[in-house]
Amino acid sequence: MISERLMGILVDSFWNILIPGLTMTIPLTIISFAIAMVIAIITALVQFAGIKVLKEIARFYVWVVRGTPLLVQLFVVFYGLPNIGILIDPFPAAVIVFSINEGAYSAETIRAALEAVPRGQMEAGECVGMTYLQIIRRIVLPQALRIAFPPLSNSLIAMVKDTSLAANITVTEMFMATQRIVARTYEPLALYIEVGLIYLLFCTVLTRLQRIGERRLGAYGG
Amino acid sequence: MAGELLSVKGLSKSFGEGKILDGIDLSVARGDVIAILGPSGAGKTTMLRCISFLERADAGDMIFDGVDYSLRDASRKEILEFRRKTGFVFQNYNLFRNRTALGNITEGLITARKMPKADAEEKGMALLRKVGLEDKHGSYPSELSGGQQQRVAIARAMASDPLMIFFDEPTSALDPELTGEVLSVMRQLAEDGMTMLVVTHELGFAENVSDRVIFMENGSIVEDAPSGKFFSDPEKKRTREFLATFIER
Ligand SMILES: Nc1ncnc2c1ncn2[C@@H]1O[C@H](COP(=O)(O)OP(=O)(O)OP(=O)(O)O)[C@@H](O)[C@H]1O
Ligand SMILES: [Mg+2]
Repeated sequence: MISERLMGILVDSFWNILIPGLTMTIPLTIISFAIAMVIAIITALVQFAGIKVLKEIARFYVWVVRGTPLLVQLFVVFYGLPNIGILIDPFPAAVIVFSINEGAYSAETIRAALEAVPRGQMEAGECVGMTYLQIIRRIVLPQALRIAFPPLSNSLIAMVKDTSLAANITVTEMFMATQRIVARTYEPLALYIEVGLIYLLFCTVLTRLQRIGERRLGAYGG
Repeated sequence: MAGELLSVKGLSKSFGEGKILDGIDLSVARGDVIAILGPSGAGKTTMLRCISFLERADAGDMIFDGVDYSLRDASRKEILEFRRKTGFVFQNYNLFRNRTALGNITEGLITARKMPKADAEEKGMALLRKVGLEDKHGSYPSELSGGQQQRVAIARAMASDPLMIFFDEPTSALDPELTGEVLSVMRQLAEDGMTMLVVTHELGFAENVSDRVIFMENGSIVEDAPSGKFFSDPEKKRTREFLATFIER
Protein backbone atom coordinates (compact mmCIF):
# COMPACT_ATOMS: atom_id res chain seq x y z
CA MET A 1 0.00 0.00 0.00
CA ILE A 2 2.66 2.48 1.03
CA SER A 3 5.13 2.48 -1.80
CA GLU A 4 8.81 1.97 -1.13
CA ARG A 5 9.47 5.50 -2.32
CA LEU A 6 6.97 6.98 0.15
CA MET A 7 8.36 4.83 2.94
CA GLY A 8 11.81 6.20 2.23
CA ILE A 9 10.55 9.77 2.27
CA LEU A 10 8.77 9.24 5.59
CA VAL A 11 11.82 7.69 7.25
CA ASP A 12 14.20 10.38 5.99
CA SER A 13 11.81 13.16 6.88
CA PHE A 14 11.21 11.81 10.37
CA TRP A 15 14.60 13.01 11.53
CA ASN A 16 14.40 16.15 9.43
CA ILE A 17 11.19 17.04 11.23
CA LEU A 18 12.12 15.79 14.69
CA ILE A 19 15.42 17.70 14.82
CA PRO A 20 13.80 21.14 14.38
CA GLY A 21 11.21 19.92 16.85
CA LEU A 22 13.92 19.35 19.43
CA THR A 23 16.01 22.41 18.58
CA MET A 24 13.21 24.91 17.84
CA THR A 25 9.69 23.87 18.86
CA ILE A 26 10.67 22.62 22.32
CA PRO A 27 13.05 25.48 23.25
CA LEU A 28 10.56 28.02 21.86
CA THR A 29 7.85 26.50 24.04
CA ILE A 30 9.93 26.19 27.21
CA ILE A 31 11.51 29.63 27.05
CA SER A 32 8.26 31.36 26.14
CA PHE A 33 6.29 29.52 28.79
CA ALA A 34 8.84 30.27 31.50
CA ILE A 35 8.73 33.99 30.71
CA ALA A 36 4.94 33.81 30.44
CA MET A 37 4.75 32.41 33.98
CA VAL A 38 6.74 35.33 35.37
CA ILE A 39 4.51 37.81 33.52
CA ALA A 40 1.39 35.94 34.59
CA ILE A 41 2.27 35.78 38.28
CA ILE A 42 3.11 39.48 38.40
CA THR A 43 -0.01 40.42 36.42
CA ALA A 44 -2.22 38.26 38.64
CA LEU A 45 -0.70 39.50 41.91
CA VAL A 46 -1.00 43.14 40.93
CA GLN A 47 -4.72 42.61 40.36
CA PHE A 48 -5.19 40.42 43.43
CA ALA A 49 -3.52 42.95 45.69
CA GLY A 50 -5.45 45.78 44.04
CA ILE A 51 -2.42 48.01 43.49
CA LYS A 52 -3.91 51.17 42.03
CA VAL A 53 -2.45 52.14 38.65
CA LEU A 54 -0.72 48.82 38.00
CA LYS A 55 -4.02 47.00 38.34
CA GLU A 56 -5.49 49.04 35.48
CA ILE A 57 -2.44 48.42 33.33
CA ALA A 58 -2.66 44.69 34.02
CA ARG A 59 -6.34 44.62 33.04
CA PHE A 60 -5.63 46.56 29.85
CA TYR A 61 -2.84 44.16 28.91
CA VAL A 62 -5.02 41.09 29.42
CA TRP A 63 -7.87 42.71 27.51
CA VAL A 64 -5.77 43.58 24.45
CA VAL A 65 -3.88 40.31 24.25
CA ARG A 66 -6.91 38.08 24.71
CA GLY A 67 -8.93 40.10 22.25
CA THR A 68 -6.54 39.84 19.28
CA PRO A 69 -5.43 36.80 17.29
CA LEU A 70 -2.05 35.29 18.06
CA LEU A 71 -1.22 35.31 14.36
CA VAL A 72 -1.91 39.04 14.15
CA GLN A 73 0.34 39.62 17.16
CA LEU A 74 3.14 37.67 15.46
CA PHE A 75 2.76 39.71 12.29
CA VAL A 76 2.70 43.04 14.12
CA VAL A 77 5.93 42.27 15.93
CA PHE A 78 7.83 40.62 13.08
CA TYR A 79 6.57 42.40 9.96
CA GLY A 80 5.12 45.54 11.52
CA LEU A 81 7.70 46.81 13.97
CA PRO A 82 10.47 47.15 11.33
CA ASN A 83 8.35 50.03 9.99
CA ILE A 84 9.32 52.03 13.04
CA GLY A 85 12.87 50.79 12.97
CA ILE A 86 12.56 47.82 15.35
CA LEU A 87 13.95 44.69 13.73
CA ILE A 88 13.82 41.47 15.69
CA ASP A 89 15.09 38.08 14.53
CA PRO A 90 12.43 35.41 13.98
CA PHE A 91 13.16 33.28 17.04
CA PRO A 92 13.29 36.10 19.61
CA ALA A 93 10.27 37.69 17.96
CA ALA A 94 8.37 34.44 18.42
CA VAL A 95 9.51 34.18 22.06
CA ILE A 96 8.34 37.72 22.75
CA VAL A 97 4.91 37.19 21.21
CA PHE A 98 4.30 33.77 22.72
CA SER A 99 5.32 34.85 26.21
CA ILE A 100 3.23 38.00 26.12
CA ASN A 101 0.27 36.08 24.73
CA GLU A 102 0.48 33.18 27.14
CA GLY A 103 1.22 35.55 30.02
CA ALA A 104 -2.20 37.16 29.61
CA TYR A 105 -4.12 33.89 29.54
CA SER A 106 -2.18 32.36 32.44
CA ALA A 107 -2.58 35.56 34.46
CA GLU A 108 -6.32 34.96 34.45
CA THR A 109 -5.81 31.35 35.50
CA ILE A 110 -3.53 32.34 38.37
CA ARG A 111 -5.76 35.23 39.42
CA ALA A 112 -8.71 32.87 39.72
CA ALA A 113 -6.54 30.44 41.71
CA LEU A 114 -5.46 33.23 44.08
CA GLU A 115 -9.11 34.10 44.66
CA ALA A 116 -9.80 30.44 45.41
CA VAL A 117 -7.37 30.28 48.35
CA PRO A 118 -9.45 30.61 51.53
CA ARG A 119 -9.12 34.24 52.64
CA GLY A 120 -9.06 33.63 56.38
CA GLN A 121 -5.49 32.40 56.12
CA MET A 122 -4.38 35.90 55.20
CA GLU A 123 -5.91 37.29 58.38
CA ALA A 124 -4.34 34.50 60.39
CA GLY A 125 -1.00 35.45 58.85
CA GLU A 126 -1.54 39.09 59.78
CA CYS A 127 -2.36 38.08 63.34
CA VAL A 128 0.92 36.22 63.76
CA GLY A 129 2.73 39.35 62.58
CA MET A 130 3.58 38.41 59.00
CA THR A 131 3.76 41.16 56.39
CA TYR A 132 1.50 41.16 53.34
CA LEU A 133 4.36 40.08 51.10
CA GLN A 134 5.34 37.25 53.42
CA ILE A 135 1.76 36.01 53.48
CA ILE A 136 1.50 36.11 49.69
CA ARG A 137 4.87 34.52 49.06
CA ARG A 138 4.74 31.76 51.66
CA ILE A 139 1.05 30.98 52.14
CA VAL A 140 -1.22 32.19 49.34
CA LEU A 141 0.89 31.91 46.18
CA PRO A 142 2.07 28.32 46.77
CA GLN A 143 -1.52 27.20 47.26
CA ALA A 144 -2.69 29.16 44.23
CA LEU A 145 -0.03 27.66 41.99
CA ARG A 146 -1.05 24.22 43.13
CA ILE A 147 -4.67 24.98 42.23
CA ALA A 148 -3.54 26.43 38.90
CA PHE A 149 -1.24 23.54 38.00
CA PRO A 150 -3.71 21.48 35.92
CA PRO A 151 -5.02 24.40 33.82
CA LEU A 152 -1.49 25.73 33.36
CA SER A 153 -0.37 22.30 32.16
CA ASN A 154 -3.15 22.45 29.61
CA SER A 155 -1.88 25.81 28.44
CA LEU A 156 1.63 24.45 28.08
CA ILE A 157 0.37 21.59 25.92
CA ALA A 158 -1.66 23.99 23.80
CA MET A 159 1.42 26.13 23.37
CA VAL A 160 3.47 23.28 21.91
CA LYS A 161 0.96 23.17 19.09
CA ASP A 162 0.58 26.93 18.76
CA THR A 163 4.30 27.31 18.10
CA SER A 164 3.55 25.98 14.60
CA LEU A 165 2.25 29.50 13.91
CA ALA A 166 5.83 30.70 14.17
CA ALA A 167 6.35 29.19 10.72
CA ASN A 168 4.56 32.30 9.46
CA ILE A 169 7.40 34.50 10.65
CA THR A 170 10.11 32.23 9.18
CA VAL A 171 11.04 30.33 12.32
CA THR A 172 12.13 26.93 11.00
CA GLU A 173 10.31 24.86 13.58
CA MET A 174 8.71 21.48 12.89
CA PHE A 175 5.84 22.66 10.77
CA MET A 176 8.00 24.85 8.55
CA ALA A 177 10.45 21.97 8.14
CA THR A 178 7.59 19.74 7.03
CA GLN A 179 6.32 22.30 4.52
CA ARG A 180 9.74 22.40 2.95
CA ILE A 181 9.87 18.62 2.56
CA VAL A 182 6.37 18.63 1.06
CA ALA A 183 7.46 21.22 -1.48
CA ARG A 184 10.27 18.90 -2.55
CA THR A 185 8.40 15.57 -2.51
CA TYR A 186 4.71 16.35 -3.19
CA GLU A 187 3.51 14.02 -0.44
CA PRO A 188 1.40 16.40 1.66
CA LEU A 189 -0.99 13.82 3.11
CA ALA A 190 1.62 11.46 4.51
CA LEU A 191 3.98 14.19 5.68
CA TYR A 192 1.40 16.38 7.41
CA ILE A 193 0.07 13.30 9.18
CA GLU A 194 3.63 12.47 10.17
CA VAL A 195 4.27 15.90 11.71
CA GLY A 196 0.89 15.67 13.43
CA LEU A 197 1.98 12.42 15.03
CA ILE A 198 5.19 14.00 16.26
CA TYR A 199 3.18 16.81 17.89
CA LEU A 200 1.01 14.11 19.41
CA LEU A 201 4.12 12.39 20.77
CA PHE A 202 5.36 15.61 22.39
CA CYS A 203 1.99 16.28 23.95
CA THR A 204 1.69 12.74 25.23
CA VAL A 205 5.01 13.08 27.03
CA LEU A 206 3.83 16.37 28.58
CA THR A 207 0.55 14.83 29.67
CA ARG A 208 2.49 12.10 31.44
CA LEU A 209 4.66 14.70 33.16
CA GLN A 210 1.51 16.56 34.20
CA ARG A 211 0.18 13.42 35.88
CA ILE A 212 3.44 12.92 37.75
CA GLY A 213 3.46 16.58 38.76
CA GLU A 214 -0.09 16.43 40.04
CA ARG A 215 0.70 13.37 42.11
CA ARG A 216 3.75 15.08 43.64
CA LEU A 217 1.70 18.15 44.47
CA GLY A 218 -0.83 15.98 46.25
CA ALA A 219 1.55 16.17 49.22
CA TYR A 220 -0.49 18.33 51.55
CA GLY A 221 -3.47 16.19 51.67
CA GLY A 222 -6.09 17.74 49.35
CA MET B 1 -4.67 51.17 87.34
CA ALA B 2 -1.57 49.03 87.52
CA GLY B 3 -3.26 45.77 86.60
CA GLU B 4 -4.90 47.07 83.47
CA LEU B 5 -3.78 45.49 80.19
CA LEU B 6 -6.38 46.63 77.68
CA SER B 7 -8.68 49.60 77.72
CA VAL B 8 -10.95 50.60 74.85
CA LYS B 9 -12.84 53.88 74.70
CA GLY B 10 -15.59 54.94 72.33
CA LEU B 11 -15.25 52.18 69.76
CA SER B 12 -17.73 52.77 66.94
CA LYS B 13 -18.12 51.10 63.59
CA SER B 14 -20.67 51.24 60.79
CA PHE B 15 -21.03 49.18 57.65
CA GLY B 16 -22.81 51.42 55.18
CA GLU B 17 -25.98 52.66 56.87
CA GLY B 18 -25.95 50.23 59.77
CA LYS B 19 -24.25 51.24 63.00
CA ILE B 20 -22.74 47.98 64.19
CA LEU B 21 -20.78 49.20 67.23
CA ASP B 22 -21.99 52.21 69.14
CA GLY B 23 -19.37 53.67 71.45
CA ILE B 24 -18.06 50.58 73.20
CA ASP B 25 -15.99 51.03 76.38
CA LEU B 26 -14.16 48.03 77.70
CA SER B 27 -11.30 47.35 80.04
CA VAL B 28 -9.42 44.16 80.75
CA ALA B 29 -7.06 43.52 83.64
CA ARG B 30 -4.01 41.30 83.32
CA GLY B 31 -4.97 37.70 83.83
CA ASP B 32 -8.65 38.32 83.27
CA VAL B 33 -10.71 35.82 81.35
CA ILE B 34 -13.72 37.57 79.89
CA ALA B 35 -16.59 35.89 78.10
CA ILE B 36 -18.67 37.90 75.65
CA LEU B 37 -22.22 36.72 75.11
CA GLY B 38 -24.91 38.10 72.88
CA PRO B 39 -27.39 37.25 70.15
CA SER B 40 -26.34 36.83 66.54
CA GLY B 41 -25.62 40.17 64.91
CA ALA B 42 -24.88 41.92 68.21
CA GLY B 43 -21.47 43.00 66.90
CA LYS B 44 -19.28 40.65 68.94
CA THR B 45 -17.09 39.56 66.04
CA THR B 46 -16.86 43.10 64.73
CA MET B 47 -15.70 44.34 68.14
CA LEU B 48 -12.96 41.72 68.33
CA ARG B 49 -11.89 42.46 64.76
CA CYS B 50 -11.74 46.20 65.36
CA ILE B 51 -9.67 45.78 68.51
CA SER B 52 -7.28 43.50 66.57
CA PHE B 53 -7.11 45.89 63.59
CA LEU B 54 -8.53 43.27 61.23
CA GLU B 55 -11.19 45.89 60.63
CA ARG B 56 -10.73 49.66 60.87
CA ALA B 57 -13.03 51.31 63.39
CA ASP B 58 -14.72 54.62 62.59
CA ALA B 59 -13.75 55.95 66.01
CA GLY B 60 -12.19 54.73 69.20
CA ASP B 61 -8.98 54.71 71.19
CA MET B 62 -7.17 51.90 72.90
CA ILE B 63 -4.43 51.54 75.45
CA PHE B 64 -2.77 48.16 75.32
CA ASP B 65 0.14 47.30 77.58
CA GLY B 66 0.66 50.98 78.26
CA VAL B 67 0.77 51.98 74.58
CA ASP B 68 -1.83 54.28 73.01
CA TYR B 69 -3.47 53.29 69.73
CA SER B 70 -6.08 54.93 67.56
CA LEU B 71 -8.46 52.22 66.43
CA ARG B 72 -9.22 54.29 63.36
CA ASP B 73 -5.79 55.21 62.08
CA ALA B 74 -3.03 53.31 63.82
CA SER B 75 0.03 53.01 61.60
CA ARG B 76 1.22 49.74 60.17
CA LYS B 77 4.15 49.80 62.55
CA GLU B 78 1.92 50.28 65.58
CA ILE B 79 -0.33 47.45 64.43
CA LEU B 80 2.66 45.16 64.05
CA GLU B 81 3.74 45.97 67.59
CA PHE B 82 0.25 45.17 68.86
CA ARG B 83 0.25 41.87 66.97
CA ARG B 84 3.53 40.84 68.51
CA LYS B 85 1.84 40.94 71.90
CA THR B 86 -1.47 39.31 71.02
CA GLY B 87 -2.92 36.18 69.47
CA PHE B 88 -6.19 35.59 67.64
CA VAL B 89 -8.19 32.37 67.36
CA PHE B 90 -10.82 32.25 64.62
CA GLN B 91 -14.11 30.45 64.44
CA ASN B 92 -12.97 28.62 61.30
CA TYR B 93 -9.42 27.94 62.56
CA ASN B 94 -7.87 29.52 59.44
CA LEU B 95 -4.84 27.25 59.56
CA PHE B 96 -2.29 27.63 56.76
CA ARG B 97 -3.28 24.74 54.52
CA ASN B 98 0.15 24.31 53.00
CA ARG B 99 1.84 23.94 56.37
CA THR B 100 1.85 21.02 58.79
CA ALA B 101 0.57 21.37 62.34
CA LEU B 102 4.11 22.20 63.43
CA GLY B 103 4.65 24.48 60.42
CA ASN B 104 1.56 26.46 61.33
CA ILE B 105 3.06 27.26 64.70
CA THR B 106 6.59 27.97 63.52
CA GLU B 107 5.62 30.06 60.47
CA GLY B 108 5.12 33.31 62.35
CA LEU B 109 8.12 32.70 64.59
CA ILE B 110 10.41 32.19 61.60
CA THR B 111 9.07 34.93 59.30
CA ALA B 112 7.88 37.63 61.69
CA ARG B 113 10.17 36.97 64.63
CA LYS B 114 13.23 35.87 62.66
CA MET B 115 13.68 32.99 65.10
CA PRO B 116 16.11 30.28 63.94
CA LYS B 117 14.20 27.32 62.53
CA ALA B 118 15.50 24.84 65.08
CA ASP B 119 14.48 27.03 68.01
CA ALA B 120 11.07 27.66 66.47
CA GLU B 121 10.51 23.93 66.02
CA GLU B 122 11.52 23.17 69.56
CA LYS B 123 9.05 25.73 70.76
CA GLY B 124 6.40 24.48 68.35
CA MET B 125 6.75 20.91 69.62
CA ALA B 126 6.43 22.08 73.23
CA LEU B 127 3.21 23.90 72.33
CA LEU B 128 1.83 20.89 70.47
CA ARG B 129 2.53 18.82 73.56
CA LYS B 130 0.62 21.35 75.60
CA VAL B 131 -2.48 21.01 73.41
CA GLY B 132 -2.07 17.23 73.25
CA LEU B 133 -1.09 16.95 69.58
CA GLU B 134 2.60 16.13 69.68
CA ASP B 135 2.09 13.05 67.51
CA LYS B 136 0.27 15.09 64.84
CA HIS B 137 3.14 17.50 64.21
CA GLY B 138 3.58 16.30 60.62
CA SER B 139 -0.10 16.32 59.67
CA TYR B 140 -1.59 18.89 57.32
CA PRO B 141 -4.80 20.68 58.36
CA SER B 142 -6.81 18.59 55.88
CA GLU B 143 -5.71 15.50 57.79
CA LEU B 144 -6.90 16.81 61.17
CA SER B 145 -10.35 16.90 62.77
CA GLY B 146 -11.95 20.27 63.50
CA GLY B 147 -11.11 19.97 67.18
CA GLN B 148 -7.50 19.14 66.39
CA GLN B 149 -7.27 22.02 63.93
CA GLN B 150 -8.59 24.44 66.51
CA ARG B 151 -6.10 23.17 69.09
CA VAL B 152 -3.29 23.76 66.59
CA ALA B 153 -4.70 27.24 66.00
CA ILE B 154 -4.61 27.92 69.74
CA ALA B 155 -1.02 26.69 69.89
CA ARG B 156 -0.22 29.01 66.98
CA ALA B 157 -1.76 31.94 68.83
CA MET B 158 0.35 31.09 71.89
CA ALA B 159 3.59 30.83 69.93
CA SER B 160 4.69 34.44 70.30
CA ASP B 161 4.14 34.40 74.09
CA PRO B 162 1.32 36.90 73.79
CA LEU B 163 0.04 38.99 76.67
CA MET B 164 -3.51 38.34 75.55
CA ILE B 165 -5.44 36.06 73.21
CA PHE B 166 -8.72 36.89 71.45
CA PHE B 167 -11.11 34.05 70.65
CA ASP B 168 -14.06 34.42 68.27
CA GLU B 169 -16.46 31.54 68.91
CA PRO B 170 -13.67 28.96 68.95
CA THR B 171 -16.05 26.01 69.27
CA SER B 172 -18.97 27.12 67.11
CA ALA B 173 -17.78 25.35 63.96
CA LEU B 174 -17.23 22.09 65.82
CA ASP B 175 -19.40 19.02 66.23
CA PRO B 176 -20.65 18.91 69.83
CA GLU B 177 -18.46 15.94 70.73
CA LEU B 178 -15.34 17.89 69.71
CA THR B 179 -15.97 21.07 71.69
CA GLY B 180 -14.79 19.49 74.94
CA GLU B 181 -11.19 19.01 73.86
CA VAL B 182 -10.92 22.64 72.73
CA LEU B 183 -12.61 24.02 75.84
CA SER B 184 -10.30 22.04 78.09
CA VAL B 185 -7.25 23.50 76.33
CA MET B 186 -8.72 26.95 76.86
CA ARG B 187 -9.46 26.21 80.50
CA GLN B 188 -5.84 25.12 80.96
CA LEU B 189 -4.69 28.33 79.32
CA ALA B 190 -6.89 30.33 81.69
CA GLU B 191 -5.47 28.49 84.67
CA ASP B 192 -1.96 29.32 83.47
CA GLY B 193 -2.92 32.98 83.82
CA MET B 194 -3.42 33.98 80.19
CA THR B 195 -5.53 37.08 79.60
CA MET B 196 -8.38 36.05 77.32
CA LEU B 197 -11.29 37.77 75.61
CA VAL B 198 -13.63 35.04 74.42
CA VAL B 199 -16.75 35.43 72.30
CA THR B 200 -18.71 32.27 72.94
CA HIS B 201 -22.08 30.61 73.13
CA GLU B 202 -20.78 28.12 75.71
CA LEU B 203 -22.53 29.22 78.87
CA GLY B 204 -20.66 26.56 80.83
CA PHE B 205 -17.34 28.11 79.87
CA ALA B 206 -18.62 31.60 80.66
CA GLU B 207 -19.89 30.52 84.07
CA ASN B 208 -17.08 28.22 85.19
CA VAL B 209 -13.92 29.53 83.55
CA SER B 210 -14.35 33.24 82.96
CA ASP B 211 -13.96 35.87 85.66
CA ARG B 212 -16.25 38.32 83.98
CA VAL B 213 -19.09 38.15 81.49
CA ILE B 214 -20.13 40.86 79.07
CA PHE B 215 -23.52 40.77 77.40
CA MET B 216 -23.75 42.65 74.10
CA GLU B 217 -26.73 43.57 72.00
CA ASN B 218 -27.23 45.94 69.05
CA GLY B 219 -23.68 47.19 69.15
CA SER B 220 -23.65 48.11 72.82
CA ILE B 221 -22.59 46.50 76.06
CA VAL B 222 -25.74 45.79 78.03
CA GLU B 223 -24.24 44.15 81.09
CA ASP B 224 -20.69 43.70 82.36
CA ALA B 225 -20.42 41.75 85.60
CA PRO B 226 -18.37 39.16 87.47
CA SER B 227 -19.47 35.77 86.17
CA GLY B 228 -21.05 34.63 89.43
CA LYS B 229 -23.23 37.70 89.64
CA PHE B 230 -23.93 37.67 85.91
CA PHE B 231 -25.62 34.30 86.08
CA SER B 232 -27.19 34.47 89.52
CA ASP B 233 -28.29 38.07 89.72
CA PRO B 234 -28.02 40.09 86.49
CA GLU B 235 -28.93 43.77 86.66
CA LYS B 236 -30.67 44.16 83.34
CA LYS B 237 -33.96 42.73 82.22
CA ARG B 238 -32.54 42.04 78.74
CA THR B 239 -29.82 39.89 80.24
CA ARG B 240 -32.35 37.82 82.14
CA GLU B 241 -34.43 37.37 79.00
CA PHE B 242 -31.35 36.32 77.04
CA LEU B 243 -30.30 33.78 79.66
CA ALA B 244 -33.86 32.46 79.80
CA THR B 245 -33.77 31.60 76.09
CA PHE B 246 -30.80 29.34 76.79
CA ILE B 247 -32.37 27.61 79.75
CA GLU B 248 -35.54 26.89 77.77
CA ARG B 249 -33.57 24.90 75.20
N1 LIG C 1 -18.00 43.18 56.38
C1 LIG C 1 -19.28 43.52 56.66
N2 LIG C 1 -20.01 44.24 55.82
C2 LIG C 1 -21.27 44.60 56.11
N3 LIG C 1 -21.91 44.24 57.23
C3 LIG C 1 -21.24 43.50 58.12
C4 LIG C 1 -19.88 43.09 57.90
N4 LIG C 1 -19.48 42.35 58.96
C5 LIG C 1 -20.52 42.32 59.82
N5 LIG C 1 -21.57 43.00 59.32
C6 LIG C 1 -22.86 43.18 60.00
O1 LIG C 1 -22.61 43.62 61.28
C7 LIG C 1 -23.53 43.07 62.21
C8 LIG C 1 -22.77 42.46 63.37
O2 LIG C 1 -22.02 41.39 62.89
P1 LIG C 1 -21.06 40.53 63.80
O3 LIG C 1 -20.48 39.49 62.95
O4 LIG C 1 -20.13 41.42 64.53
O5 LIG C 1 -22.08 39.91 64.82
P2 LIG C 1 -21.84 38.78 65.92
O6 LIG C 1 -22.30 39.34 67.20
O7 LIG C 1 -20.45 38.28 65.85
O8 LIG C 1 -22.88 37.66 65.47
P3 LIG C 1 -22.71 36.05 65.42
O9 LIG C 1 -23.09 35.56 66.79
O10 LIG C 1 -23.73 35.64 64.40
O11 LIG C 1 -21.33 35.74 65.05
C9 LIG C 1 -24.37 42.08 61.44
O12 LIG C 1 -25.61 42.68 61.18
C10 LIG C 1 -23.61 41.88 60.16
O13 LIG C 1 -24.49 41.63 59.10
MG1 LIG D 1 -19.56 36.48 65.26
